[in-house]
Amino acid sequence: MSRWASAHLSELERRDEWIPIRHHFGVRAVGINAFKGDSTGDQLITEHREDWRLHEELYVVLEGHATFRIDGEEVDAPARTIVYVREPSAKRSAVAKEADTVVLAVGGEPGAAFVPSDYELTWPYSDPAFKHYRAGRYSEAAQTLREGLAEFPDSAGLRYNLACFSALAGDRETALAELAEAIRREPRFRESARSDDDFASLRDDPGFNELLD
Amino acid sequence: MTKPYEVLSLDELDRIPVTEGLEWRPLRRRLGIRAFGTNAYTSERVGGLVVEEHVEGSGHEELYLVVSGRARFTLDGEELDAPAGTIVFLPEHDVKRKAVSEEEGTTVLAVGGWPDKPFEPSQWEWYFESYAHEPERAIEILEDGLRQLGERAWLLYHLACHEALAGRRDDAREHLRRAIELDPRAAERARDDEDLAGIEP
Repeated sequence: MSRWASAHLSELERRDEWIPIRHHFGVRAVGINAFKGDSTGDQLITEHREDWRLHEELYVVLEGHATFRIDGEEVDAPARTIVYVREPSAKRSAVAKEADTVVLAVGGEPGAAFVPSDYELTWPYSDPAFKHYRAGRYSEAAQTLREGLAEFPDSAGLRYNLACFSALAGDRETALAELAEAIRREPRFRESARSDDDFASLRDDPGFNELLD
Repeated sequence: MTKPYEVLSLDELDRIPVTEGLEWRPLRRRLGIRAFGTNAYTSERVGGLVVEEHVEGSGHEELYLVVSGRARFTLDGEELDAPAGTIVFLPEHDVKRKAVSEEEGTTVLAVGGWPDKPFEPSQWEWYFESYAHEPERAIEILEDGLRQLGERAWLLYHLACHEALAGRRDDAREHLRRAIELDPRAAERARDDEDLAGIEP
């Protein structure tokens, strides 16, 4: 086995806008990925907070021009801009202001050894499941995530999405059971469920509302 | 209250000359990043270093990304052409690595840490910076490092060097003695170090 590895960013596998650097090289000490927007207006960093895993995050605009939004403030970020979000609870997102914008993201929790994120590990199941979801094939989407759970039974993210797809497929029992388990493992999913349209069919369900209290 | 985020350009980072054209652009220290190590390195001239020849004595795995320009890496004796956008990953800390600039203004970003334990800043961040200053300021920088990291052999060693240059020979002797207690390799280094001439621990 080689004692080092190299690749050009343009050679790495793309997962939509996501360029999974950490996964490609097997980096273990830190989370590191890039995100590429092919067109103006493409979402580079999906709006999110990092308070559920306490990461501080460093973003570097490698190419093009991005616009960040952090806690409601807009940040203009041409190439070579560094955006450091030290506060995990800050809500952040970024879009491409120019075609072919690339942003590097590096993250980790201070004082803790790095652990890869759930969504990275479960991608081989989440990706096809979301393709079914976007095509309205909710039962197939749910079945794909069940297969994922057989490999990653501790994944709260898979359980949450299984709850969503089950609700859309009309499987109330599974939706409530998986949502309860997702919230038990990661309480942040309680807030997600409150505003998630995938649960529209359960809004008046006492069992659903009990989970959100 | 600390702002939840900071924004700056790579071009605003300090430039601390190190050796053979290499300029250290301290990023982790500038922002106070605590979860991982990260710094940039620039050479304004072709042929200048952008990664100094070294192995990672800390045991870190390291990832280098060529942000701009073009670099030529040498990794365990093997050469690699690395235009902007190239990533070089070294999971093994003892790979001897070096990179030189093939274009003016080449900048390389380095990210590193241990795979199985929390990150702690490296001592070299303080002693590299100290040599960009006169001894009295250098001493303050190293004392700051000791406050942040606790007692560390190479912070004490370089503190002793600056104290010797500042004429504080008793302090230099005491700190060199303690550095050698913590890491006996400091004694060997001190024997050939002109900064410590005449300082017997």
